[in-house]
Amino acid sequence: MTDATASRRPGALSLILRSLEFRMFCLALTLAVILSLSSPFFLTERNIFNILDQSVVIGIVAVGMTFVILTGGIDLSVGAVFGLTGIILAQLLQTMPIPLAIPIAVLAGAAIGLFSGVLIAVFGLAPFVVTLGVMAIGRSLSFIFSGQRSISGLPAELDAIVYSGLLGIPANVLFLIALYLCAWGYLTYTKGGRTIYAVGSNREAARAAGLSVMFYSVLPYVVSGALASVAVTFSLAQVMSADPMAGSGLELDAIAAVVIGGASLFGGRGSIIGTLMGVLIMVMIRNGLNLMGVSPFWQGTAIGSIIIIALLAERLITWRSTRT
Amino acid sequence: MLQSKARAEPLLTARGVSKAFGKTQALTGAALTLRPGEVVGLLGANGAGKSTLSRIISGHIQPSGGEIDFNGAPLVLTSTRDALRRGIALVAQETSLAPDMTVLENIFLPDLATPGRLSFKAMREKAGKLLSGLGHEHVLPLDAEVRLLSAAQRQLVEIAKALALDARLVIFDEPTASLSTTEVNRLFDIMARLRDGGRALAFVSHRLEEVFAITDRVTILREGHVVAEDVATSTLTQGNVIQHMVGRDIGALHSARSAACASVGAVVFEVRNLKSAPWVRNMSFAVRKGEILGLGGLVGAGRSEAVEAIWGLRPHQGRKIFVRGKPVAFRKPADAVRAGLGFVAEDRRAQNIVPDMSVRENLMLAHMGRHRGFGRGYGKCAARMAELIADLGLPMDRLDSSLLNYSGGMQQKIIIARWLLTDPEILILDEPTKGVDIGTRSSIYRILQGAADAGMAVIVISSDFEELLGLAERIVVVSDGYTIADLPAARLTEEKLTLLAAPRTSTARNRALLKAFAQDYDADAFWTLLDGNELICLAQEGRSLSGLSPGEALRAEETLIPVALGARRNEFVTETDGKRRTMLVQMTDTRGHGLGWIGVTVAGAALMSRPEDIRTRVQALLRAGEEDV
Repeated sequence: MTDATASRRPGALSLILRSLEFRMFCLALTLAVILSLSSPFFLTERNIFNILDQSVVIGIVAVGMTFVILTGGIDLSVGAVFGLTGIILAQLLQTMPIPLAIPIAVLAGAAIGLFSGVLIAVFGLAPFVVTLGVMAIGRSLSFIFSGQRSISGLPAELDAIVYSGLLGIPANVLFLIALYLCAWGYLTYTKGGRTIYAVGSNREAARAAGLSVMFYSVLPYVVSGALASVAVTFSLAQVMSADPMAGSGLELDAIAAVVIGGASLFGGRGSIIGTLMGVLIMVMIRNGLNLMGVSPFWQGTAIGSIIIIALLAERLITWRSTRT
Repeated sequence: MLQSKARAEPLLTARGVSKAFGKTQALTGAALTLRPGEVVGLLGANGAGKSTLSRIISGHIQPSGGEIDFNGAPLVLTSTRDALRRGIALVAQETSLAPDMTVLENIFLPDLATPGRLSFKAMREKAGKLLSGLGHEHVLPLDAEVRLLSAAQRQLVEIAKALALDARLVIFDEPTASLSTTEVNRLFDIMARLRDGGRALAFVSHRLEEVFAITDRVTILREGHVVAEDVATSTLTQGNVIQHMVGRDIGALHSARSAACASVGAVVFEVRNLKSAPWVRNMSFAVRKGEILGLGGLVGAGRSEAVEAIWGLRPHQGRKIFVRGKPVAFRKPADAVRAGLGFVAEDRRAQNIVPDMSVRENLMLAHMGRHRGFGRGYGKCAARMAELIADLGLPMDRLDSSLLNYSGGMQQKIIIARWLLTDPEILILDEPTKGVDIGTRSSIYRILQGAADAGMAVIVISSDFEELLGLAERIVVVSDGYTIADLPAARLTEEKLTLLAAPRTSTARNRALLKAFAQDYDADAFWTLLDGNELICLAQEGRSLSGLSPGEALRAEETLIPVALGARRNEFVTETDGKRRTMLVQMTDTRGHGLGWIGVTVAGAALMSRPEDIRTRVQALLRAGEEDV
């Protein structure tokens, strides 16, 4: 690797080449090339929109997960929050207009995140355990609120949030792009974003330097909860029914995307662009395997292997650049 | 001394050892000779390669070139386990112990990796033998968990662990960095025992006094090269060593500040009666604009805890803090930052550096803490940053690389610059030169003096009394959680400072007795250390008759009771003017160590109390003290 051991004063180009995002981009690109060679249907306009469409839900949830993981935490409850707020939204829509119901559902997701965040940041409980508890509670409540069945009969206008769009790009994909741009700008160029990195990298130092460690330890969980309910809104608009089991396993997909994107589970390291690459890689594998007619039961093996290979490659590269 | 005997054959000889990390050449052709029964000092400024060399010898890293002979055969190590098996052990700065396991388990940790059953009974016996060989069998409870031990005790475990493997060569890498003076002496005692037992020892350090105290020979490194190889310590002076280490004559480390100190102005920061259980009992001090105030004391005296309490990092009781005369209450560090304070915490790695961030972001961290608004606010202080970077001698184009690529000294300068960037009125630095080489040290002193000259009030905490005396204009001495003296540096010497700072378990009891004396006899009661004609008053209660006040260093003729101080009798002595009578009682513990004198001064000739009463009460106090211990 010439780029890993490059000169001591790197130029802009070599900085880009050495960055983790770039390597992940290469991985995503390689994967796309392999898949388009294996299946004639992969590189069609229709399938590309398909991939983007399938990226929306996991992509939105992964943004919140990135925030949480950057502070060194983890949020196992996103799948359950996704399911619960989906039920809440579906119930609200029976009696309320859409513009009122959606904000309330999103607020409900944010409130659940606030609950976890306060327990973790203020009371110092372990993120893993707190969100595991919230996950169990959330899933159980979604069964109770739904009466153990799917809720359908949603207003037909709901699908406008997906199937309207601009220049032929559907609204949910536009939203995803806008969300990633905002999240990237926030994490890179604002005080809050940099504080989230500093908190994850060295909480003590961030605190001593006068940063609001407490606030920015809670905020990621609120964002994560809110985004889980935003994601379920898009999902509901497509499926037109709310299932109490919806979103099971979503937390693991989101964590996998963030980790493939190069974030450290110890916090402080990672990026929103990396997460986007991670999301695309995961969705492309699923999509490609489907196109090739591979049994869906093999998907787990494929995704698991990619996670491990990506982490291993990253570790080998960092070893090379720090230990030579 | 060993010099008189024939010197033993070398146990280890290293020749032409090189090591490169990426493009950085950490060692170039380094050489080292270690003989049984000798302590060799391995010296050098930070980044000179002394740690790299010791890590190569102990198998932590592999050299890029060169040859090492151990015990007459070439030595090739692939791991630390390999090194341990051959009898080479490293006692490192940060110990490599398992914190949740017991002392016993840690001592025999390498044994756990061998197949077969473990006999705890045999291990216990062996551990007892090892520790008694060190002369410290009583200080290490074998069943205590290591995380509950002090830094010095952990080091002892580390040494015992090396001995359990029958190490013949032990490298001590900066072992004294976090030890108090007494603990350092104990460590040296152990090292001397190991040396006399025929082991070869290497002592890596940049504390010169210690090097002269313990080593027989020294090897000095500079920028990866050996500049003085295997020189007898007795032929060197501190000046020689410094010259070798920095490659030039740095002259006086501390350029004395102008005696006038015209810039010193009004009090900008004051702390009254700060308490933070259990370390900080009652501390008060004040600092003026343009002044450098030293907070001196031993490790564990409560200095760091006090500033952390001020900074809102730890709980506290009954604290009154005044900034520019106005009372403030910092609930969290952000409040202090916005009130115009800066704080360089003690532990660089744990409390200051954000490892995943670039140099620029680390520099901007405190600015961001102070900045209100949504954005980062980097643009606001770009000009000031460029200025500071030029001062630090840091190339602008390396701002976006990781801070971890820099030496400890440069990291420290960057952390100090982080706070200078916010232009604080008051800057607090906790051990700013800990683990920093001499060259960087003097530039840190220059930075701090420049800041004070520009009107900043600077508070420096340091265990290095020489540093405090050279840097600060005024020194507040902290002992056992109390501020016990506030003196101009010009009146102090290292010896006096050491005397004042020594922790006294008897402090609280003695104060109570003084209060009782003052009340019962309507007297001036004081506790003082006497040294020839000089005295240091540790505590004083009641009327002001003797002319002593707490924390003052005086000569006998400067007090109002010179006759009594000269006589030092166990009876009341009348001064020449007949207006005061003073009685002095010496306090000694059972081992005969002087604990100072208790004095009682009463006005006029009328004597209300009998000397026996006073003697009895002081004796009772001493007995109570013995029982406590």
